[in-house]
Amino acid sequence: MQSSPNMLTKFESKSSRAKGIAFHPKRPWILVSLHSSTIQLWDYRMGTLIDRFEEHDGPVRGIDFHPTQPLFVSGGDDYKIKVWSYQTRRCLFTLNGHLDYVRTVFFHHELPWILSASDDQTIRIWNWQNRSLICTMTGHNHYVMCAQFHPTEDLIASASLDQSVRIWDISGLRKKHSAPTTMSFEDQMARSNPSQADVFGNTDAVVKFVLEGHDRGVNWVAFHPSLPLIVSAGDDRLIKLWRMSDTKAWEVDTCRGHFQNASACLFHPHQDLILSVGEDKTIRAWDLNKRTSVQSFKRDVDRFWVIAAHPEINLFAAGHDTGVMVFKLERERPASAVYQNQLFYITKEKHVKSFDFAKNVESPPMLSLRKLGSAWVPPRTLSYNPAERAILVTSPTDGGVYELIHLPRDATGAIEPTDVKRGQASSAVFVARNRFAVFSQANQQVDIKDLSNSTTKSIKPPAGTTDIYFGGTGSLLFITPTSVILFDIQQKKQLAELAVSGVKYVVWSNDGLYAALLSKHNVTIVTKTLEQVSSLHETIRIKSAAWDDAGVLLYSTLNHVKYSLLNGDSGIIRTLDQTVYLVKVKGRSVYCLDRNAKPRTLEIDPTEYRFKLALVKRNYDEMLQIIKTSSLVGQSIISYLQKKGYPEIALQFVQDPQTRFELALECGNLDVAIEMARDLDRPKLWSRLGTEALAHGNHQIVEMAYQKQRNFDKLSFLYLATGDQEKLSRMAKIAEHRGDFTSRFQNALYRGDVQDRIQMFKEVDLYPLAYLTAKSHGLTEEAESILEAVGLTEDQISLPTIEEPLQVAQPIVPTYKASWPVKAAAHSSFEKALLGEVGAGDEEAAELGFEPEEEEDAVTAGEAMEDEDEDVAGWDMGDEVNVEEDVDFVNVDSAEAGAGSTEADLWARNSPLAADHVAAGSFDTAMQLLNRQVGAVHFAPLKPRFLEIFKASKTYLSATPGLPPLVNYVRRTVEETDSRKVLPAIPRDLETIASADLQEGYAAMRANKLEDGVKIFKGILHSVLVNAVSSEAEVEQAKKIIATAREYILAMSIELERRSLSTDSPEDLKRSLELSAYFTIPKLEVAHRQLALMAAMKLAFANKNYSSALSFANRMLANGGSAKLLDQAKKIKAQSERNPQDKIEIEFDQFAEFDICAASHTPIYSGSPSVSDPFTGAKYHEQYKGSVCRISEVTEIGAPASGLRLFVPSQI
Amino acid sequence: MDPFSADGELINIQNAFFQGQYQEVIDFNTSSFSPENNLPARVLQLRSHIALGETEKVLADVEREDETPDLAAVKALAQHTAGHADSALQLVQDLAENYPENGTVQVLGGTVLQARGKSEEALALLAKHQGNLEAVALIVQIHLQQNRSDLALKEVQAAKRWAQDSLLVNLAESWVGMRVGGERYQSAFYVYEELASADSTSAPLSVIGQAVAEIHLGRLPEAEAAISTALQKYPNEAGLIANAIVLNVLAGKPTEDLEKRLQETQPSHVLQADIQEKSEFFDAAATKYSAKVSS
Repeated sequence: MQSSPNMLTKFESKSSRAKGIAFHPKRPWILVSLHSSTIQLWDYRMGTLIDRFEEHDGPVRGIDFHPTQPLFVSGGDDYKIKVWSYQTRRCLFTLNGHLDYVRTVFFHHELPWILSASDDQTIRIWNWQNRSLICTMTGHNHYVMCAQFHPTEDLIASASLDQSVRIWDISGLRKKHSAPTTMSFEDQMARSNPSQADVFGNTDAVVKFVLEGHDRGVNWVAFHPSLPLIVSAGDDRLIKLWRMSDTKAWEVDTCRGHFQNASACLFHPHQDLILSVGEDKTIRAWDLNKRTSVQSFKRDVDRFWVIAAHPEINLFAAGHDTGVMVFKLERERPASAVYQNQLFYITKEKHVKSFDFAKNVESPPMLSLRKLGSAWVPPRTLSYNPAERAILVTSPTDGGVYELIHLPRDATGAIEPTDVKRGQASSAVFVARNRFAVFSQANQQVDIKDLSNSTTKSIKPPAGTTDIYFGGTGSLLFITPTSVILFDIQQKKQLAELAVSGVKYVVWSNDGLYAALLSKHNVTIVTKTLEQVSSLHETIRIKSAAWDDAGVLLYSTLNHVKYSLLNGDSGIIRTLDQTVYLVKVKGRSVYCLDRNAKPRTLEIDPTEYRFKLALVKRNYDEMLQIIKTSSLVGQSIISYLQKKGYPEIALQFVQDPQTRFELALECGNLDVAIEMARDLDRPKLWSRLGTEALAHGNHQIVEMAYQKQRNFDKLSFLYLATGDQEKLSRMAKIAEHRGDFTSRFQNALYRGDVQDRIQMFKEVDLYPLAYLTAKSHGLTEEAESILEAVGLTEDQISLPTIEEPLQVAQPIVPTYKASWPVKAAAHSSFEKALLGEVGAGDEEAAELGFEPEEEEDAVTAGEAMEDEDEDVAGWDMGDEVNVEEDVDFVNVDSAEAGAGSTEADLWARNSPLAADHVAAGSFDTAMQLLNRQVGAVHFAPLKPRFLEIFKASKTYLSATPGLPPLVNYVRRTVEETDSRKVLPAIPRDLETIASADLQEGYAAMRANKLEDGVKIFKGILHSVLVNAVSSEAEVEQAKKIIATAREYILAMSIELERRSLSTDSPEDLKRSLELSAYFTIPKLEVAHRQLALMAAMKLAFANKNYSSALSFANRMLANGGSAKLLDQAKKIKAQSERNPQDKIEIEFDQFAEFDICAASHTPIYSGSPSVSDPFTGAKYHEQYKGSVCRISEVTEIGAPASGLRLFVPSQI
Repeated sequence: MDPFSADGELINIQNAFFQGQYQEVIDFNTSSFSPENNLPARVLQLRSHIALGETEKVLADVEREDETPDLAAVKALAQHTAGHADSALQLVQDLAENYPENGTVQVLGGTVLQARGKSEEALALLAKHQGNLEAVALIVQIHLQQNRSDLALKEVQAAKRWAQDSLLVNLAESWVGMRVGGERYQSAFYVYEELASADSTSAPLSVIGQAVAEIHLGRLPEAEAAISTALQKYPNEAGLIANAIVLNVLAGKPTEDLEKRLQETQPSHVLQADIQEKSEFFDAAATKYSAKVSS
């Protein structure tokens, strides 16, 4: 069988001659009427025969689905028209009337009509609702081979062996049968005299045009779906195209090519094509506009009899001597390639477009590939080269061609590419940055070409290679019908081979470690070295696949999106209403191209496969996350977990007590099991629990299980075994109470209680046994009293010799006191994580309360920096610095003539920021800058920060072996190449400080680790001090952070001083009270200030300073917050209000505005003289001027300063 | 036959050497090589031994081979690497005088001279090369070390005209690219990524290159992924550790462990030396300042 390059057979059936075909408009079904009298209903997607309908006598030629109802109609050589329901699978009724073979039958698209054409030379219209013949059209004078309704108008076209095609107007019929409106007199007249106008008594349908042109009988006729065109096929082997207007119709042209009778023809539903079939065993496609042959397909022995088109999707079916084939004319898979966040694809108009996943926007067309290949053949593949921004497109035209085109930088419209390299190839892919491989199937040769399209290397692929794919950098995958071969291009060596048959596509994972090999019904996942990881089979065709970032393969079949983990576990993610080609998976979105080459985004729920993946990877955190955030319940997950041997995890999902119980037993989690058993309280469960607990050695649970089952014997034995005498005697009592002598005897035995045994024997009148027991245990008195009771003497009884009575063995260890030894319960790490997480969750909630808010106190901190823009002192100094540095460079230059200056030097030259000078290694100038800007004098604490920045400034690139690595300079201006503008990257940017360091500081405050807190906040000050930010807004943020850090350091230092004091002496107590009051002054986060207030309030209250306590309580209440704190405040408030006096006078005026001196921790009332630190803005009493700031530990209090600079405006 | 042409016998062993796959070079089966290629192959293998620090072995191997200038040059390099810097320098200077046309002498001699800081002498020797790509690469590196990326760029572009696809030229271009920055970071990244991503060409050298390019591109998470996998594979690679330190600092992560490791594997690494120097510099500079009032 010779196949044209593009026709793709999707389904073939084997049967007797197929005479009629009908597609279901929605479902993947096709009806085939056979010469053998059978009607078959096939699912062409699954390839299964759904049903057979056999009521006709002889060949069935006409068949049609109803467009909306579950009905179909058939017409056969038994002259009958049958209407069937495919739901009830029965023939509903038969329409009789034709006097010869029925050739075609069709439903009307909206009216309840059926149109039939027959060898009796008539065309008839039937109403299938009232099952009546409503019109008979006569006029043809030979067999009518085909009659069809116009898709929209009231017209019928018919073809007959009388060599004519006729167009009939049936508007009269419609009028007559439409719902009666106001009927005019004439109408009524017309209706009452139906047989007036026509010789044959027919006014409902009149011949409009007779089209003559065929020289032999006409077999088929079809209307164009939208244009006034008609196409016909005849025994003169011609396909004729006709056009009609309102008043006339004429022949347009003829398509010549069939060399035997043409049996049927139709218009392509969407494209300007005509399709025809004939007894010359060919299917032919013709260009509607040029009437030239576009492609043809030939079968070896089977003549074609009929062709049908699917009304919506691009599918056709043709019936021939031995069955039916369903096919499409061209591939609908749009050629595409994904690179990072971009999709490049070719539209139906052959435009190259790109789609940005991140922004979700489609670019305008970038290129037009109109000239690639032939007009009707879409490009097959597209390969993208990001380094060169070039694409490689292949088209199957003429045995395969490829074109190498550079994409324009900006998408400006569908321009014709200018610089195109092209050649012959069946496949072409990029294999490296500057190389691509071109495969010619005909020559069985692979050429490796460079970007100028010249061959650098040729490789002979393994025999039978059908396709090539990218195989990882520098490698190729050869696809043969039975295997896939990995080939290293450079070494010209076959690296690996894997036997997989029929591979059609290869999809690489995003990290390039795995590839999915897709064949029609199989997905094989392999590593990059071509080792098979897993394989799965699908009954429905696999269309495409894409990898999730986590290494999950998502693939699409005709109707589903599914996933497969590396271990082969798979499942359905969602159904599809139309076939799509997946290109990328990102989070909850699956990006795909539909058959119209439009990018689409499908929303999916990745929970299931993420969860399974986490399970496989034992990533418990992720699992927890999923459990907490998604509703992941369902039998499938539970059974999956059980099957995979994770009952303990399944346990976390199940609510149903019975299932929980089963799972708990399975994983040996007795706690849960017992809880569930209590809930359910069924004897059977208790018994199983008892068995399981016994196996674990957990006798307490065993005891409970036995108790619940009222299993006294076992209980007694359990107590005996564990040595629980007390309970054993209770058991004896219970037995006595129950009157169960056997049990009582047993208990007495267990306890070694001879008295009780004798007593019991006596009670049941077993005196001999009682006597014997007494006697053997040496209880002579008792024995005698028994004898007495029964009136016997010792002589009358003959006793065997009595040996020493056995004592009941006592357990060595009183096990009953504790369960021991217990089998370790299978607490998985997952459960532990879950338990841990519960605790952490609370903390999280607590943290939420301390979210940083807008800081009102930034104003004070800002004072020191306010004038930084106006102040040019920073710049002046920058100039000075450069002079000094230049001197330095001269030295370097003289040492190494011909050398340039390093980039580090440029940094120092380009920037007035201390941080940039530090990165440049120019510590001395950096110090100068800091000294001028913020009065920094004590640099030792900044040393780690300096070295940190310096360390991050350079990378080390190994180059020639034997020489030190090349040093390169890390820039924050990544895009910049102008040496006057480059600036260094500064680690620990503002965002990190705000999001990580600051939170750490708050956490220290919350956790009451004040020493650590002070350290952290000082670190923050130092990080901000030597830093660079990217905008004015960030400068503001930096100021806020400085102020926040200052307040926290001050507060923590005050509290730390208080803690170092003893409260024994009255002075220390007074100071303590003062400090605790001052602790409430710094502007902390509200939640933290509450802590300070709480501490102060309690201390004051405890020392009977009720007035102060009251004021703290009031402030706490004003702040609001956690109910627990507020309750305490309320209590203390109530108590203090009774006697609002301070016992110890302290220097703290709750009503006055004051700052706290950061050195002495005493108040600075407004109006009294003070100095502040130029960097942090911390306030001090005047006597501290000139000393090092206690907060920053770097800057000099009261030093003249120009203000900290963190931002170089020109860098934007 | 041009030894650098795509189908030359030496191409694979040379590429392996340039990609830093020294063990592969040593293990390379050279028995099938034609006689004229035996010497270059041996030189490459000896140089690989040196690169792996096995200088004693090399010195023993070339003990009596002073007659062959190629091997004498290898000896000089081995001596230099082993720390006998002065005798190495002496030997190189002799060789440069007597066999200035020998390619191996140029490259290895240039390496030793440059390592001793005699850049001008090295450049003078290398300038005599006749289409020796290794010499070109070395010239590029020397220019870069002199911070003359303009000259380095010129050299690369000249070489590209006659050896566009040579791996070495690509690498040299990447070195320059990393210095120039901007879009060239990305192209340098592609070159290294291509090497690093294929198993057959991956080596510490290429992974470092890839990671360094990512750092310069500001793509820290990607760089981290590359470096951490590589560190597992090559735990004692000083170059990797040094860049890992840089990366961790940039990402705000602790680096003490890494610094200790670097100290153990290669105490003389530039990073260590630099930090040591700067630390002293800091202390010295900081003494110039003090508060008016000591508290």
